[in-house]
Amino acid sequence: MSASLEKGVRVLKEMIDAPIASYLNSCVHCGICAEACLFYTETGDPKYTPIHKLEPMRRLYEQEYTLLGRLARMVGLTKPVTDAELAEWQELVYNSCTLCGRCSVVCPVGNDIVYMVRKMREGMSAAGHAPDGLKGAVTRTVKIGSPMGVKLPAVKAQMKHVEADYGIQIPLDQEGAEYLVMLSSMEIINFPEYLGAIAKIMRHAGKTWTLCSEAFEATNAGMQIGNSDLARVIVKRIVDGAEKLKVKTVISPECGHAYTALRWEGANLIGRPFTFKVQHIVEVLEELRLAGLLKTEGMETDRLTFHDPCQLARRGGVIQPQRNLMAMIAKDFHEMPDAGFMNWCCGGGGGASAIEEGEELRLEAFKRKKSQLDAVKPHRLVTACANCRIVLEEGLEHYQMNLPVVGLTETIAEHIPDPVGND
Amino acid sequence: MPISNDKELKAALAALTDTERRQVGTLLVQQVFDLSGDARIKGALELARRADAGNAELAVAAAGVNTARVESFTQCGRDTDWTAQAAHFVARAAQECVRPVVDLGTAWEAAMQARMARICQTLAAGEGTNNTEAEAQYRALEAFLQAKGRAS
Repeated sequence: MSASLEKGVRVLKEMIDAPIASYLNSCVHCGICAEACLFYTETGDPKYTPIHKLEPMRRLYEQEYTLLGRLARMVGLTKPVTDAELAEWQELVYNSCTLCGRCSVVCPVGNDIVYMVRKMREGMSAAGHAPDGLKGAVTRTVKIGSPMGVKLPAVKAQMKHVEADYGIQIPLDQEGAEYLVMLSSMEIINFPEYLGAIAKIMRHAGKTWTLCSEAFEATNAGMQIGNSDLARVIVKRIVDGAEKLKVKTVISPECGHAYTALRWEGANLIGRPFTFKVQHIVEVLEELRLAGLLKTEGMETDRLTFHDPCQLARRGGVIQPQRNLMAMIAKDFHEMPDAGFMNWCCGGGGGASAIEEGEELRLEAFKRKKSQLDAVKPHRLVTACANCRIVLEEGLEHYQMNLPVVGLTETIAEHIPDPVGND
Repeated sequence: MPISNDKELKAALAALTDTERRQVGTLLVQQVFDLSGDARIKGALELARRADAGNAELAVAAAGVNTARVESFTQCGRDTDWTAQAAHFVARAAQECVRPVVDLGTAWEAAMQARMARICQTLAAGEGTNNTEAEAQYRALEAFLQAKGRAS
């Protein structure tokens, strides 16, 4: 057994905790999870059945932690987990799983399959069987602090650009501000309009906010590859920044996994409660709306629909706020079939979009989103995740669907009136 | 009167006709086109400069530009190549110029995306915020207005 395989198997064994043991024992092999996974529904290949993606882990559990399995192992009746097998499983655990959580919510015995896939990824990563794309993201996160190699000068350049475009000062390292605004790499690189929209909305709401030079990046590559130690380091950086600046709330950007990492797992990762609140930007906008601090003007008249990011809606439970916000500005809003809690993934979450060799499969899986969109025939598609946005654009382009994709925050900001006397 | 800031730039753009706005936006994108070199964008810009560009032609050009824009996104988790990202913003800027309907924001948006392209180039060169594209845009608009026989 190679050193990396030995390490991977050891980590996998360590990952098998009480929930996983109970999930593996509870599985009734009904296959309902298959119908919930877009990689299965769009390819028809049974290897994409979510519970099957955990087969090496299940066998390891049986061989190590059950009486019959141990006896079978003693007499040589079991099949050990091998390097070749883990290499084969890489496609199943990473390329064809976006951690969207649809399988978990349909499981009739309540197995959280996503939880298991993430534990499985820890072992795969330790065994050296994570995809190169994700490994690169992790290396950059360790070396530079950002999975996409974004450094502070890039943020400062964008701040300067946004200040010129919107005519609003972008605060940096302002101690005592109410909100610390985090950005995803994607927003820094591809969508400068997000920062402009934030500036416009905060000015309109009369709220103080800031960016932090030591913690501007919310993307958590550690969580995507399956490396809790790295996920902890990334969260800790944000916690240190927020506490240093004494902010009341940290705003997670339009990025699904950043939200899950910080909002739902952050405190557990660092082992103590936060001294501040964490909210997704959509939750903050909704709070401002409810407080009467978000007054929009004018309505979009074209046919709009909303793509719910999995980590926000299904895993995070934020479903109604985005609809309330859309209602403020959209006259002709239509829901896609399965929208909201059971919405279908864009196909690129959970680090999948960083895996180059998974592109063909991703586009195949996109047929599900295409059919959702075909049912509504919108003129524009709104979402609240920068990664979804690009994956959607690629899918739409591939299938020759002429449909612009826009972010919710900037769409709302476009309806915020300029202050009187402002040019 | 020379244009020396964005307020004056906006005022000058506001005084243009819609056709002129498209032409000015195109002019500003052409100033950063060397950061892309994409033939689809080049063709679209040549079309957008023409005062008689028809909607059908623009739609075809817009589809090509959109493909160039989508192809050049930096995907989540990938290493950022700021030079390639500059080409993405050139495509975004060009997209403004081939929209079927032009309005007050067309040339301004094209200008902003062109500036982002130049920012990406400066980041690739390790210079960060040293961006002089705004100045170059002021001069280009002045020259355009002068050629039209109008003072800025």
